[in-house]
Amino acid sequence: MSYGKKDEDADSGLVKIDRTQVFQEARLFNSSPIQPRRCRVLLTKIALLLYTGEKFPTTEATTLFFGISKLFQNKDVGLRQMVHLVIKELASSAEDIIMVTSTIMKDTGGSTDSIYRPNAIRALCRIIDATTVQSIERVMKTAIVDKNPSVSSSALVSSYHLLPIARDVVKRWQSETQEAAASTKSSGGFSLGFSSSSGNLPVNNSTMTQYHAIGLLYQMRMHDRMALVKMVQQFGAAGAMKNPAAIVMLVRLAAQLAEEDPQLRKPMMQLLDGWLRHKSEMVNFEAAKAICDMRDVTDDEVTQAVHVLQLFLSSPRAVTKFAALRILHTIASFKPHVVNVCNPDIELLISNSNRSIATFAITTLLKTGNEASVDRLMKQISGFMSEITDEFKITIVEAIRTLCLKFPSKQAGMLQFLSGILRDEGGYEFKRAVVESMFDLIKFVPDSKEEALAHLCEFIEDCEFTKLAVRILHLLGVEGPKTSQPTKYIRYIYNRVVLENAIVRAAAVTALAKFGVGQKDPEVKRSVDVLLTRCLDDVDDEVRDRAALNLRLMHEEDELAARFVKNDNMFALPFFEHQLVMYVTSDDKSAFETPFDISKIPVVTREQADAEDRTKKLTATIPSLKPPKVGPTKTAPSSADAAASASAAAQKYAQELMQIPEMNEFGSVLKSSPPVELTEAETEYVVSVVKHIFKEHIVLQYEIKNTLPATILENVSVMATPSDEEELEEVFIIQAETLQTDVPGKVYVAFRKVNGGSSLPVCTFSNVLKFTSKEIDPTTNEPEEGGYEDEYEVSDFDLSGSDYVIPTFASNFAHVWEQVGAQPQAEEAEETLQLSGMKSIPEATEQLAKTLSLQPLEGTDVPVNQTTHTLKLLGKTVNGGRVVANVRMAYSSKTGVTTKITVRSEEEGVAALVVASVA
Amino acid sequence: MSPGMSLYSVNAILILSIEDGSRIFTKYYTPPHHAAQPGAAAAATAPPASSSQNPYPDKTAQTRFEKALLQKTAKQTGDILLFDNRIVLYKMESDVALYVVGSLEDNEILLYNVLLALRDSLHLLFKQSVDKRTIIENYDLVSLAIDEICDDGVVLETDPTIIVQRCSKAPSQDVNLGRIDPFSEQGVNNLAQLGKAKLTDWLRQGL
Repeated sequence: MSYGKKDEDADSGLVKIDRTQVFQEARLFNSSPIQPRRCRVLLTKIALLLYTGEKFPTTEATTLFFGISKLFQNKDVGLRQMVHLVIKELASSAEDIIMVTSTIMKDTGGSTDSIYRPNAIRALCRIIDATTVQSIERVMKTAIVDKNPSVSSSALVSSYHLLPIARDVVKRWQSETQEAAASTKSSGGFSLGFSSSSGNLPVNNSTMTQYHAIGLLYQMRMHDRMALVKMVQQFGAAGAMKNPAAIVMLVRLAAQLAEEDPQLRKPMMQLLDGWLRHKSEMVNFEAAKAICDMRDVTDDEVTQAVHVLQLFLSSPRAVTKFAALRILHTIASFKPHVVNVCNPDIELLISNSNRSIATFAITTLLKTGNEASVDRLMKQISGFMSEITDEFKITIVEAIRTLCLKFPSKQAGMLQFLSGILRDEGGYEFKRAVVESMFDLIKFVPDSKEEALAHLCEFIEDCEFTKLAVRILHLLGVEGPKTSQPTKYIRYIYNRVVLENAIVRAAAVTALAKFGVGQKDPEVKRSVDVLLTRCLDDVDDEVRDRAALNLRLMHEEDELAARFVKNDNMFALPFFEHQLVMYVTSDDKSAFETPFDISKIPVVTREQADAEDRTKKLTATIPSLKPPKVGPTKTAPSSADAAASASAAAQKYAQELMQIPEMNEFGSVLKSSPPVELTEAETEYVVSVVKHIFKEHIVLQYEIKNTLPATILENVSVMATPSDEEELEEVFIIQAETLQTDVPGKVYVAFRKVNGGSSLPVCTFSNVLKFTSKEIDPTTNEPEEGGYEDEYEVSDFDLSGSDYVIPTFASNFAHVWEQVGAQPQAEEAEETLQLSGMKSIPEATEQLAKTLSLQPLEGTDVPVNQTTHTLKLLGKTVNGGRVVANVRMAYSSKTGVTTKITVRSEEEGVAALVVASVA
Repeated sequence: MSPGMSLYSVNAILILSIEDGSRIFTKYYTPPHHAAQPGAAAAATAPPASSSQNPYPDKTAQTRFEKALLQKTAKQTGDILLFDNRIVLYKMESDVALYVVGSLEDNEILLYNVLLALRDSLHLLFKQSVDKRTIIENYDLVSLAIDEICDDGVVLETDPTIIVQRCSKAPSQDVNLGRIDPFSEQGVNNLAQLGKAKLTDWLRQGL
């Protein structure tokens, strides 16, 4: 089997073959008589070049191509098969290839039963162009129905390839394709071309033809729904299709049909359900995938699929496990309770040697896990932590952080785990992930604070990463003074001043100062003073400067110093970033004439920033290998996205309102509500409203869209009438001048609070749209002259207590609850409600937090128990008073969710208002 | 066309050398005729880069992908991973790595069957061990086999026995004056045939 001298040394075999040399050798094709063996070697060399990425320039390819076409004179089958292969590969780079069509056609004829007939068919469809497809019609038709599956398959696939250039011609072969799909008989005495040994070879009884035929039939009938339905029913019947891949196609088709036509959903679901129990894995997986991708799938339907997948989890084949887990992972993200049953099986897979499987297992468990299983999961993870790569460790650390935030009561075990791996070997990225997780624990799980700080202190004693040391020192400065024993941290921090490089020293000095400034304990203050004074002798400028500045701040205690050192406010960073980018990338030169104005950036308190940060981390950082799925899926945008877009929307509103001169005197917007739909989406005029709360004013922003074609609305205004006109006084209306079809416009109605800034009026608005309607003359495209005045009534909406409340974060609920209760002005209100519309506790939790416009605390936004739950909520009114709510819920299938809401507020009357917004 | 109903499911079939990551066989599939405009002659050589389907249009992108892939799979056994937004099925055979790359939505088992078809056909073809040297020495059989497994991204056949039957052996020794071994029986026969042919030629020319 050796080819002469070519491959004496296989290792350099690849190197030896060179394009120009092969091109020179190609003269061999012209020699006469043809030497089949040498020619095949040369063809092999060309194939090798092509398959290792070498490209023949067009002229060379063309020369080669026609050289090769001379080899058709030789009858040797081995040579001929290779010729067809190389012709197929060269077809894309050579010119004038159409000339050999008739030569190749001879090999595709029904009379030749040789081994190269399928190859010839495949080569032919590369040679052909759109104009000549018709000439091969007869050949293709006979080939499609040929009794040899290889010929038939090749013809079907070739037709499939021709679709983009000759759809109409290919469509005419439909009846042949149908016949090929339906035929289940295997071919009879097919000679396989091995003249010497054809007698004892097994019969070619491949069923792949069905797969190709179904694929092609779909393309032919894709615009005919009835035909497709018939196809699924005909071929979907048990036993009609032998080939699993063909059934996979049918599964996809059935799912697609069910998606497009709700009436077909039921019969198609039945088919899919049957395929779940098909004997081929391939079909089972495809059916399970289709079921869980189905719109509005019910728990029962998914449970069926989950059962099947659960069996595959214990399969010895990695691929099977992977496929099953991947689907379960998708299901877990929208129906975690259904996947719960598989948890024991999935837990076994988290230490799987295939990392993709292990990661899917962990992320799935995270989504389905409950409080009870966390400890066990942690134990398992720590078992194999030392054996895996950094990259994978990061995935796990992030997963654990999410778990911590979800189940704060489990923090002790997780903290221990985190501190354990912090001591392990690892690169910067890994350590950073661990340190950040601990930061989050400190921020959001108050019980863990002291212990986590202690672990971090220990870590910086021996930390090789400057960046991390600096961040930890900063955190120690912020959190340390608030702890019971601040002196403990001072020692750790000063150690850094003695031992570290200049960057860390500077950070340590700033951290130290935070212990000193505003310190009540004279003893602590004195020791910080001593330490900072020592730093004045530091070799580094920055360190000396910081020490001097902080000493001065310590000695001159005043408001300014305290504010400077312990700043609790920060800029709204996403908005800040956006503004800066806008400024820097501005095309308009005049933009640079004025410097960037930082005072325009809204300032948020740390609490608010934390609240946002937490929601984002809880929802967004469930780490996943799975890239976002392309194509239409029903997954709603995650709440993190929603939160981000909500804050972006608020800033957008604020900017728009700024543009209106009349509103400048109102001051800045304190709160903007989410849009409220006042009409159905299909009505003639689509109206929604956004409520903006200012200090002494309320502005209603109506967004109106005219959906009537060929009409134009002019002077659009809204008559908004509050139910309680004593509290709100209309100031002005800003009309929308014209509203063209499908172009949204805005109308603003401003009210003044009669009873001054601190009052929180609550009322119902009734709204009537007023406008002049004009039809557009179809000939001139101009609106007609007169038009007529019209009114259009839209739904009422409420201005309720929750519109005055902004969600706020605090780490300890009980503390805030008592604090608020202790205020002199405090007020408490209670209400028991029957929410029969809610079908589950999680749904009620989400809805209540949203309607009350309060921030869930202490992880109570994730209900653990499905029957009872306590939701703890916190917010601030636009005037700054805190509002705390404690919601107890109980669920029974008969009555729905029963809730008891207790609200406390620092201001008078607010508690009742907030409760009333739910009722 | 709906992506789910497409027959184009294989993105690439690769055979790489584990030692140095060099290419032994690499085929990235693009549906033919998609680039060509209807009416324009196929002769208008459409550059392969214009095909939107193939994510690795040029050699540099391809080799970068292969290098990263080999690095990722070198120390693992597990047959499957998600890589670069694609499903990759792989098997290691002595000093070569076999890969089948498919799109994310595709059926893992179908792609796995393609990989098994590739591996088992090589085993059937070579009988002895499948390694780099054997593959290069029998490159014609390998390329014919892969052509039978997958045709421009469409899975053609996954039964190794059928695939192997469809690969023709190389022709027997050439008829060539310089190469004829005068002592073998075949050589003598060939010589006689050649002589006969030449004689006829001469006679024709003479006449």
